[in-house]
Amino acid sequence: MTSILPLIARRVLVSVVILFIVSALLFCILRLLPVDPAAMSLPPNATLAEIEAKRHEMGLDQPLFRQYLIWATQVLHGDFGTSIHFRRGVAGLIGSTLPATIELALLAMIVAGTLGIAGGLYLFHVRGSAMEPIADAGSIVLLSLPEFLWGLFFILLFGVALELLPFTGRLTAGFQRPVVTGFLLLDTLLAGRPDMFLNALKHMILPSLALGIAFAPTIMRVLRSSLLDVYQEDYIHQARLRGFSERHILLRHALKNAILPTLSLMGVQFGFLFGGTLLIEVIYSYPGLGNLMVDAVRNADLPIIQAVGLTYCVVVLTINTVVDAAYVILNPKLRIA
Amino acid sequence: MSARPAWLRSGRVVFGLSVVVLISLVALFAPWLAPHDPNEQTLLSTFLPPFWAKGGEAAFPLGTDSLGRCTLSRLIYGARIAMTVAIVASFGAMIIGAVLAHIAGYFGGWIDWLIGRTVDVWMSFPPVILSLILMVGLGTGLRNVILAIVLVDWTRFCRVLRSEVLVVTRRDYVAAARLIGFSHWRTITREILPATTPLLITLVSLEMGIAVIVEAILSFVGMSVGATTPAWGQMIADARQYIYDSPWNLVFPILMIFITVLGFNVLGDGLRRTLDVRLTETQRA
Repeated sequence: MTSILPLIARRVLVSVVILFIVSALLFCILRLLPVDPAAMSLPPNATLAEIEAKRHEMGLDQPLFRQYLIWATQVLHGDFGTSIHFRRGVAGLIGSTLPATIELALLAMIVAGTLGIAGGLYLFHVRGSAMEPIADAGSIVLLSLPEFLWGLFFILLFGVALELLPFTGRLTAGFQRPVVTGFLLLDTLLAGRPDMFLNALKHMILPSLALGIAFAPTIMRVLRSSLLDVYQEDYIHQARLRGFSERHILLRHALKNAILPTLSLMGVQFGFLFGGTLLIEVIYSYPGLGNLMVDAVRNADLPIIQAVGLTYCVVVLTINTVVDAAYVILNPKLRIA
Repeated sequence: MSARPAWLRSGRVVFGLSVVVLISLVALFAPWLAPHDPNEQTLLSTFLPPFWAKGGEAAFPLGTDSLGRCTLSRLIYGARIAMTVAIVASFGAMIIGAVLAHIAGYFGGWIDWLIGRTVDVWMSFPPVILSLILMVGLGTGLRNVILAIVLVDWTRFCRVLRSEVLVVTRRDYVAAARLIGFSHWRTITREILPATTPLLITLVSLEMGIAVIVEAILSFVGMSVGATTPAWGQMIADARQYIYDSPWNLVFPILMIFITVLGFNVLGDGLRRTLDVRLTETQRA
């Protein structure tokens, strides 16, 4: 067990270094922008001298490297600047939208994991049978549907045609949302409002289903192919000779070994899925990080774009680090290293 | 033995290729195929349903949008943007990714380390976020959409190809080529590249599908080509606003994107199965 900690520590260190490079990269890309943030944060009738003074105040007349250092120092102190468009602190804006996005991503991951593992077992189960080409073709069709097409399709089907579920926002108008932790599902429960909890959950069904279903096929296919690999091993043959049922062999012997690469892939997928929340949020007018980002992009609101871009990277890097650590802990073969 | 090469005998390849060729032809001949100018507004007949539905008109076979523009014509012209981006961007990404992958896998050492870490940094950005940020920096327009996709997606090629190059480089015939006195350049282009080409072709085909999706996403949020150029993502954004006035307008662009991406994916899957000689029988099944 002692050898695990240095491995994890190393991984965390690498992530921190990557984060610094990413932030510098982000900073440089956004300085390519043809708009002047100083001019944008002033009223249109500001004089050139006022703009110049503002440029100086914002540090825009300094060399790029100095500008980056100033920004990075502020960020490390938790100061992400002020939004040009909303005229509010960026840290506050992120704080109020990030929980919503995390809730959506977690629910979607549960959907993706459940459908992915069930689908993978099914794909494996039908191998060699007449159903195989159909199931296989089905999985390619599913792979071709990105989350935002699922999102729109669900709106058309369950929202507009069948009128079964809501597809805009998080709560039906009239509910006063309690704010304790910022996570709406948790807050409604803490406030003792099961009716509001159900309402919020209803609003999340379509977005999380759309996002989850788009990421399930990859999980399905990896689980199927790692099950196929595992079945080449001698111990499966031996289990058969010992007279275990096929069901017992699959669930007790094969799945245990095949699930590891699948879990590792699910970690990587979770990173992608977190990026996928952006489009789903826009489509479902869901007030999370993605909508904040798209609003900022449309208004060329640099402080928000920088900070939200960085937030996405922090979340993805954190997920990857946790997954790597979990992989080391779960996989006994890696412990000796 | 049939005269056709093996890859053309695969049903998947034929299906995928047909879809892709068909949509390319539609894009190419858009001015002759489209019944209207895609930007022509007929404000007296907005939100017309397709011709087979009640209230539809034969002049607008798939109906009209919120400004009375012909949906069919916009779909046909939208194919131009989608296919241009798909082809140019994926070849661009392939070239950068493949060159770096071959350098990294062949030479190894510090250069492999450097390229590998660069890919790591790139991959820590969710692709959609990175392309959005790039579009903010670069500004909208077709050229910049392509550039943004190339800059985001080269890593897909680089990561997968590098490990393939690594395997091929260790083969005996590569060592033999070096012993005969082939230069590094000649060894890579004559000995290694032919072995990695099947994977390369497959990846390009899959990347084209991804590029179509990314372009649709960017034009959906209004960060792709300008407002005067019809694009599928734009049509979706417009239809999402008026979903109760005309759900049809949402259905058609979704279908087009789906069919195009399906075509590329089935083609890629078929090529993978037929071109990759190292696939074991179980994986091929």
